[in-house]
Amino acid sequence: MSGDHHNTDDTGPAARVKALEAILTEKGLIDPAAIDAIVDIYETRVGPRNGARVVAKAWTDPEYRKRLLANAKSAAAELGIAGPEGGHLVAVENTDRVHNLVVCTLCSCYPWPVLGLPPVWYKSFAYRSRAVSDPRGVLKDFGLELEREVEIRVWDSSAEMRYLVIPERPKGTEGMSEDELAAIVTRDSMVGVAKIAPPASPRRNAPRVRG
Amino acid sequence: MSTANDALNKLIEEARLDPGHVFSAPWEARAFAIALKLSESGYFSWDEFRERLIAEVGASDRIRARDGTSDRGEYYEHFLRALERILDEKGIAR
Repeated sequence: MSGDHHNTDDTGPAARVKALEAILTEKGLIDPAAIDAIVDIYETRVGPRNGARVVAKAWTDPEYRKRLLANAKSAAAELGIAGPEGGHLVAVENTDRVHNLVVCTLCSCYPWPVLGLPPVWYKSFAYRSRAVSDPRGVLKDFGLELEREVEIRVWDSSAEMRYLVIPERPKGTEGMSEDELAAIVTRDSMVGVAKIAPPASPRRNAPRVRG
Repeated sequence: MSTANDALNKLIEEARLDPGHVFSAPWEARAFAIALKLSESGYFSWDEFRERLIAEVGASDRIRARDGTSDRGEYYEHFLRALERILDEKGIAR
């Protein structure tokens, strides 16, 4: 028997969700407008830009960095960043000797307020099953080859603990403002599967987020 | 047969092409929002929901480990089954 199911017929997930929403609405348990609002928040408003602001501030303000490492939840709240699945947030910092990598081996635990919802690969069996046993191999898949001397610390997320990686600030960014820095911080770098490349031209080439 | 390695490379490539990608179909977004809303309204706690989600994901993982098959990003199918289960167990949608 195959565990694979196809989703295009009437018994597929789309039809099941539609039926579920109809019955829950009819019973008055949910309001479709409230569901629309939640979808909008997680599709467009909560995302890694929040985490990027936290990282950029940690890069430019040593006191903030200390507060972030001591209590990441309250440090994020200082920037107005809070929400579900944001409790027990822990910030871990990359250095030239230590590289941190975040996974949730059991399901999909992820710090929503700072990173939004996780990408598809984060939830995949391929990533979850190998991040702990073969972190170097996984990083190689992401195009990141670390020196052998660099220690890799793998953090397995849970209901109790969520992790935000503070990536290393790239060289050539000394003159950049906090906002400019935030624009070069990527989601992947805050999960630990990438480093941040130095900008080609320090002041002007910061990539912008679409739209 | 594709390996776990190939599967991850494919998902990484897809994420590169569409970095903001969170849901692969509208039903995934609705299922997520319905679960979050019911939890926020106190019909169940998110931890209770997560227990079911971990069970669904774990069952799929065991099949993949046994058969050596890779996933295609069907996380929200597990998510939906976990939601259906908790609604059923708590008699919420009856």
